[in-house]
Amino acid sequence: MAATALPESRRVSGRGLVLAALALAALCAWLALDAPLTGLVPREGGWDVARGFFGHALRPAFTYETEVPDGTSPLLLSGLAAARRTVVFAVAGMSLALVLGVLLGFLASSSWWAQDSGGRKGLRQRLGPLVWGSARVLIVGMRSVHELLWAVLFLAAFGLNTFGAVVAISIPYGGTLAKIFSEMLEEAPRDSARALRELGAGPLQIFLFGQLPRAVPDMAAYTFYRFECSVRSSAVLGFFGFPTLGYSITQAFENLHYAEVWTYLYMLMALVVGIELWSGALRRRFVA
Amino acid sequence: MSSAAGFRLARASVWFAGRAALAGVDLEVRPGESLALVGPSGSGKTTLLRLLNAAVLPSSGEVSIDGRSLAQASPGELRELRAHVGFVHQDLCLVPNVRVLANVLAGRLGQQGLAASLRSQLFPPREEIERAAAILERVGILEKLYQRTDSLSGGQRQRVALARALYQEPRALLADEPVSAVDPARARNLVELLAEVSRERGLTLVVSLHDIALAREFFPRLVGLRAGAVVFDKATGEVGQAEIERLYSLEGLELDDDGRDGTA
Repeated sequence: MAATALPESRRVSGRGLVLAALALAALCAWLALDAPLTGLVPREGGWDVARGFFGHALRPAFTYETEVPDGTSPLLLSGLAAARRTVVFAVAGMSLALVLGVLLGFLASSSWWAQDSGGRKGLRQRLGPLVWGSARVLIVGMRSVHELLWAVLFLAAFGLNTFGAVVAISIPYGGTLAKIFSEMLEEAPRDSARALRELGAGPLQIFLFGQLPRAVPDMAAYTFYRFECSVRSSAVLGFFGFPTLGYSITQAFENLHYAEVWTYLYMLMALVVGIELWSGALRRRFVA
Repeated sequence: MSSAAGFRLARASVWFAGRAALAGVDLEVRPGESLALVGPSGSGKTTLLRLLNAAVLPSSGEVSIDGRSLAQASPGELRELRAHVGFVHQDLCLVPNVRVLANVLAGRLGQQGLAASLRSQLFPPREEIERAAAILERVGILEKLYQRTDSLSGGQRQRVALARALYQEPRALLADEPVSAVDPARARNLVELLAEVSRERGLTLVVSLHDIALAREFFPRLVGLRAGAVVFDKATGEVGQAEIERLYSLEGLELDDDGRDGTA
């Protein structure tokens, strides 16, 4: 019996080439950095710090390590208060980011601008590329500067201003939400939108009731994920003096109170894990 | 409820990407009439239905709905024409993650302004809910009113799509292969339901069907399409077996990659 002639296949697989190129790029990066592994060996005196710090990992503090002035709230309570402020900063930042994300995501999504209204081009299609293009440029600008950099800029401009810290979070987060939202809106199935168009709905109705609902579960799930990230960002803003967990951590670290540092670190971890569990549960409800 | 929805096609052609989906079709559908479009995959049935719904415009020739020519209609007039023709899509095109009620109420979007449509989608007034419920009751799934659409079976979703079309209070009802997703017993029920509600409401009914037996049972007129052209158009009793066999013979037909009508 003659062997079946197989359909032609390419000899050199594209996949292999891509993998080889990626490996080469990684190798080049390490060589260019010239970072020997010996860099991880602590310098003189560094050993003590490292030992002191990691030695306390299993012995976090439950009370302050040194005398504190009367009236100072207990360590655990002040840690909880810092954790609460961390969440408050994150929630405030995210609420603003969500508004920005939905508005810009809508403007940057071609699924509204490109809808045809049957033959002739209306004002919307002619204006579309302009609005849509500028929204995308704005989004790139917001995203390409990290929240810590925004925080430094606002700190320099307005001083230690709570509103500045919140805006520092909401600008890059709003940009990221907008970018992902616009992609989700574009990738959502178009069949229901088409059906609404064919029963005479207008462009905005088609978008709101045919396109948007298809993307909402993904958009909600992604927002929860970003909320988790914003809690970490909000903690790190404390390094600049905002009263979140990061502030407590730097203070304790500067005083060499390593046991306290671990207390705060564990609180931050508990916070992030807790939010992840909660948002995971919500996500399952939304997507399933 | 229905005042007309007659259709007239004169030498109507539709081209997609250099290929004729319909080539010079003449067809007249009188108000209140019901007919079935039959023919093999890719013969242009879907495209013809989309022409009747003003969803596509003819590349050449004339299409008019109740005497209004599509070629001269403004976008607003096209929307109005579409609003009064109900279309049940082959793949239903419902929003899966909202309640059945919202999908049915969406039938009126073409007749509402933005504010009114926001109200009926988010906070539907009682009389709208009652009207939607009456239609769901007629199509046999009243108890599903407040359920999420994607929790329904294929046959039930089909009825939601029909309810959405009926909620438009259309003058004509078009259905594209309404039975492709259900088993034979349910298919018969569904076609029967389409025929009945159209008769009750005096709607023009145009349905594309693969199943010749169903088409013969429920429709007094058959239009045979092959390769984008009408090969017969007559009373069901006059269509002979030989004609049906010629209509479906594979000779001279291209095999579509996806085995469906070549519509975009």
